[in-house]
Amino acid sequence: MQPFDFIQPDTIDGTITALSNHTPNVRILNGGTDYLVELKHVHQSPGVIVDISRLTGIKGISLIDEGLRIGSGVTHTEIMSNPMVKEHVPAMIDAAHVVGAVQTRNLGTIGGNLVTCVPSMDSGPTLMALDAQVTILGPNGKRQSSLQDFFVGPRKTSLNIDELLLDIIIPKENLGKPAKFIKFGLRKGQALALVNAASALWLRDGKCTDVRIALGAVAPVVIRAKKAESVLEGNKLTDNLIDEAAKVAIREAKPIDDFRASKEYRNDLIEIAVRRTLKSAMLNSK
Amino acid sequence: MTDITLNVNGEVKTASVPPETTLLKMLREDLNFTGAKIGCDVGDCGACTVLVDGLAVNACLMLAAQANGKEVLTIEGLSTLDKYHPIQKAFEDVAALQCGFCGPGMIMATKALIDQEQELTRDQIKDALSGNLCRCTGYTKIIDGVIDAYEKITGRKVPARNPRAA
Repeated sequence: MQPFDFIQPDTIDGTITALSNHTPNVRILNGGTDYLVELKHVHQSPGVIVDISRLTGIKGISLIDEGLRIGSGVTHTEIMSNPMVKEHVPAMIDAAHVVGAVQTRNLGTIGGNLVTCVPSMDSGPTLMALDAQVTILGPNGKRQSSLQDFFVGPRKTSLNIDELLLDIIIPKENLGKPAKFIKFGLRKGQALALVNAASALWLRDGKCTDVRIALGAVAPVVIRAKKAESVLEGNKLTDNLIDEAAKVAIREAKPIDDFRASKEYRNDLIEIAVRRTLKSAMLNSK
Repeated sequence: MTDITLNVNGEVKTASVPPETTLLKMLREDLNFTGAKIGCDVGDCGACTVLVDGLAVNACLMLAAQANGKEVLTIEGLSTLDKYHPIQKAFEDVAALQCGFCGPGMIMATKALIDQEQELTRDQIKDALSGNLCRCTGYTKIIDGVIDAYEKITGRKVPARNPRAA
C-alpha cells in the first residue's frame, strides 16, 4: 500500500471537519473489506484516510419515529443477529448473510456496501424494495436521499468527498412488509452476485399494492423494475401474472456479458429471481 | 508512524508502524507471530484469519491502527508445543490437512464458530468456513475435523449427514 496519513476521529463532527480540511485528497475507511483491497492495487496515495470504524454515532439499530434506523457502521454480522431486523425486515438478514464470508461480514458494514456502489452489491435490492432512505451529513448539514438518487453509477454515489453516510432508514410504513431477497452466484460463499433481486408487496383483499421489485448486478446500479411492478399493481396475484411480470423485468435490465456469465444466462436468472421473490413475498403475507 | 498497543494471545504487545501497515503485516513482521499466513492478501482465502475481540477477521484487510487496543487471538495462542488445542487435535485425528497452509486460518475460523455455542449442522459449518480456501483436501476431511472438535468440546452432536446432499 502507498503511504497515507491516518486520522481516527472520536466524533461525527470531528469526522466532517477532518474531511473538509483535507478535501479533495481524503477518503473514508470503515470495514476495509473493499477499500483496503483497492488501496493495495493503486499506485497513488489516497492522501489522508479518515478511519470511522470507532465512531459510535454511526453504530446501532433502533426504532425511531420515521422507521427502523440502521447506522451506516453496522456490520453485516450485526444485521444478521439483530432482533429488530428479524422482526421488521427479515429479508435484510438473507441479504446480509450472502455478503462475502464470515470474515467479510464481521468487518464489512452496510454503509460501506452502499457507498462502494458496485452493481452486484447484496444490500441494495432489499433496501430499495423497502423504499429505504439514506441520511447524509456534510459541512452544510444533513440531507436525505432515496437509494435511486444515491446510486449514480458503478462505484459512484451522490456522496460528496466531504460527506459522511450516517444511517439508512426503512420507513415506518414498510416495517413488516412482506419481502424476499434472492442471490444467484457461481458459489454459495465468497461469490459476487450474477443476479440478485428483492421484491416487496402488500396483499390487501387478495390484491397486491405498493409492489416493489429491485434488481442488482444487471445494470450499472441497482434498479427498480417499474414496468414489472405495474403489471402487478392493484391486481390479484396469479401464477400467470407473476410469470408475465418476470418476463417484463428482463426488458428493464441491461446485464453484461462477462467471464462469470453470459447476458442470456443472466436474463434467465432475472426471470427466475423475480418470480421466486414475488411468490415468496406473497406467501410471507398470508 | 503510528504507535500500536495490542493484546495478542493474552500478552500486551506494542509496535510503531506506518499507518498503511495491515494487522497481518504487523503480527508477522513486527511481533513475530507468523502463524497467520499471507495467502491472497485481498480477503479471499482466509489464510490470515485471526480473532479480533472474538470475531474472525481477515488480518490482511484490517489496518494495525484499526486493531489498536483490541484483543487479538492467533493460532499461536491456542496451544503450546506439548499440548494441542482440542481443535488441533481433532484436525490431526481425522487427518484434516494436507499441505497445511490453510490450517491456521481454518482452525481460527473453527474456533470462532465453536465459541458461539450454537447448535450446528454440517451445512452451517460449511457456511462458516466458506471464507477459508483449501486447495488440497476438497474440504471433506476439514469439515469432519470441525465436527469432531465441536462434538468433543461442546458435548453436542452434529446431525448425521444426508447421503444425498451435496
